[in-house]
Amino acid sequence: MFPQFKPAGDSALVIIFGDRIDEKINKKVHAVANAIEKAAPDWLIEVVPTYTSIYVYYDSLKLSYQEALNAIKPLLSAEPKEEKPRIVEIPTVYGGEFGPDIEFVAKHNGLSVDDVIEIHSKPLYRVYMLGFLPGFAYLGGMDERIATPRLEKPRLKVPAGSVGIAGKQTGWYAIESPGGWRLIGRTPLKTFDPSKSPPSIVKAGDYVKFVPISEEEFRELYKQEWGEKQ
Amino acid sequence: MIELVNVPSLLTIQDLGRYGHQKFGVPVSGAMDEISARLANYLVGNKDNFPLLEFALRGPTIRFHSSAVFAVAGDVEIKLNGIPISPWGSYWAKRGDILEVGTLKSGMYGYIAFAGGIKCEPILGSCSTYLRANFGRALKTGDILKLDYAILTGKEGKKLPEEFIPKYSNESEIRVVLGPQEDHFTEEGIKTFLGSTYEVTAESDRMGYRLEGPRIEHSEKGADIITDAIPLGAIQVPKSGKPIIMLADRQTSGGYAKIGVVAKVDIPKVAQTRPGGKLRFKAVSVEEAQEALRRRERTMEALRLFLLGELRAYKLKALGEEIIAFIKVEKKG
Repeated sequence: MFPQFKPAGDSALVIIFGDRIDEKINKKVHAVANAIEKAAPDWLIEVVPTYTSIYVYYDSLKLSYQEALNAIKPLLSAEPKEEKPRIVEIPTVYGGEFGPDIEFVAKHNGLSVDDVIEIHSKPLYRVYMLGFLPGFAYLGGMDERIATPRLEKPRLKVPAGSVGIAGKQTGWYAIESPGGWRLIGRTPLKTFDPSKSPPSIVKAGDYVKFVPISEEEFRELYKQEWGEKQ
Repeated sequence: MIELVNVPSLLTIQDLGRYGHQKFGVPVSGAMDEISARLANYLVGNKDNFPLLEFALRGPTIRFHSSAVFAVAGDVEIKLNGIPISPWGSYWAKRGDILEVGTLKSGMYGYIAFAGGIKCEPILGSCSTYLRANFGRALKTGDILKLDYAILTGKEGKKLPEEFIPKYSNESEIRVVLGPQEDHFTEEGIKTFLGSTYEVTAESDRMGYRLEGPRIEHSEKGADIITDAIPLGAIQVPKSGKPIIMLADRQTSGGYAKIGVVAKVDIPKVAQTRPGGKLRFKAVSVEEAQEALRRRERTMEALRLFLLGELRAYKLKALGEEIIAFIKVEKKG
């Protein structure tokens, strides 16, 4: 059944390793993505690993879809290396103006707002991938008791640092952007900064813990991080 | 050096995009219409990827502070010191000259290229502006831009043959490779998508174009997927059933099912469609899409060499059809 291969338009192909969010599947994704990057064939534009798949962007003037597949297949045997993970704390103020959808999330799941905060801030979340927008970390390990579908129509503007839920996923917006996640809180940290190397405070393979803070602590930290008042 | 004397709409510096950082969530960006941008660069003797100006709908007025060779790409009236000149050609401007670029008569994005390109500090390897992360910024009246050094002699007076000037209509057929999540749609949903006309809405920008039209039905798998990557031209269909075509400033990944991906060769057509314009989609195989792209690139290479003076163009009649033949210029000595 897996891996599966599909074209994603005429200049990318996707290799699918599974159909669920799973640490083992994701570790395999990163191992193979690293192997393709390391092989660095001249037709390779870039590799984007995701939860369960790898998008291989290629120069279709140099080779066809079938030729790209044939070149990649020998690299699929790459296996993950064992490493000690890093834990990154994300201080977060929950609810109120910072998390306008927290009541919806609570009601949708038959919980109180305090339950949502307790359940959301408890686990260690694995950083499965970065994507969507600069520095955005997709996390795995959210308790399904707080799972909530995305907005039917995405918001046109979500502030930087907003923490949200989309289906069974959670994460935060590293920069201001449009988006369809249900917002439950906000971190004062500047989590993406292109003048720094690396530009993101988290990388794929890290673990993240949300630490509840008060509005007061939020404003204090925000000033330190961004050099301005919220 | 050039000075922006009047900037009536979104004006940004773009090249062909920022590659290699999508795995950190950094979007590609770059010119919305790669073909117009590359042709503008070819007209002034630049390489494909040189930084140039992209304007949305209304062009700027520019004062030259030193000699430069420039070309404008777009269906637009332009004036040099008040005298009408043509787009799709290269001109010499001297210190004090004023270039006025009007409003596009068709299409959505126009380009102004300068021999040598616009000087800029690349961010993560590219000069493409990406406003959402403050990579560069929207240019404004009074801004002064430096141009990179280039030999100007012989770069002016080039002209793109009439037959190769891109024509942008407000009603286009767009080729699409279906997938990769076609299984998230019912057979009826895919039929609706391929059999209907969709209109580009005002909620459209460099990130993507939201379309209005018949609702596309999802299968029991639904509109949400486990988040994966978003290639250029991906057509996402959220729960509303209304498609969104993802363009230059698209996010690198997302969670809505993708019914198809626009063939790269047709991206300029999509990008140049204004709000209110209509699109129809036609399914093609990946091989057909790649063949169309190769054919286009052969033409682009011929045009590049023609504008460099290495090829000559001849109009011929063959089998009752008019064709353009490019023939190599024999160099003496």
